[in-house]
Amino acid sequence: MRIEERHLEAILARARAGHPLEVCGVLLGRTDARGMVVEEAAAVENRERIAPRVRYEIAPEDLLRLQRQARAAGRDIAGFYHSHPDHPARPSETDRRMAAEGLSDGVVHLVVGVDAGGNAVPSAWVFRDARQAFEQEPLEVVRPEAG
Amino acid sequence: MAITVQIPGPLRPLTGGAAEVEVEEAADVGSLIEALEARHHGIRERLLDASGELRGYVRVFVNDQDVRALRGKATELAPGVTVAIVPAIAGGSQRSRCPALSGVWIADSDGGPAS
Repeated sequence: MRIEERHLEAILARARAGHPLEVCGVLLGRTDARGMVVEEAAAVENRERIAPRVRYEIAPEDLLRLQRQARAAGRDIAGFYHSHPDHPARPSETDRRMAAEGLSDGVVHLVVGVDAGGNAVPSAWVFRDARQAFEQEPLEVVRPEAG
Repeated sequence: MAITVQIPGPLRPLTGGAAEVEVEEAADVGSLIEALEARHHGIRERLLDASGELRGYVRVFVNDQDVRALRGKATELAPGVTVAIVPAIAGGSQRSRCPALSGVWIADSDGGPAS
């Protein structure tokens, strides 16, 4: 997936600011011949109330609102992001199981590992129903002059 | 007046890539799903579980109202309404609560810091 540097930086900044709680959001964009392009990273509230340090939940109502907003702008929901405070930047078994139970085939998940020192590491993954697993996706950061 | 159904990305391989499809007539959400299945085989099993109920991760909105707060699959559909199918999204680094088993917590099978 490709993402403009400013959008990625905004996601990383939010993951740092949110530590030690998980933060989450929705990636809006479009797909072209080279794959998915993120054109907006919409922050949404983590609706997990019991264990927001280790869990996140995006409310369907938020998704409905963003889906409408995206379509009006000629975009689509391309994927999601969430942070893993003090855990690695890769999908957990929880992430895998949740994706396997849901409607996730081909959906991109950007996972940000973040620690208390402000180190934030992103990685991109695509869930494949056929394998019931995430596959790592190249993460291409686009700078304005290059994009 | 046809019912417009908004299709989320993961289901679009079943609708030939269409983000929206129209169904001429359906009395309720259950009938709508059957009408979709007739045209887009495989969609029913993505939306319903083995007992025929909406899967825990599938939300269906009728004119912005979640049918779970209405009558579920028996929610009536007026001509011309818009129905949105929206996937619920959740996860996290360690332990999970399974929505299908409200309030039940499941430890990650691989123990320890699981992310």
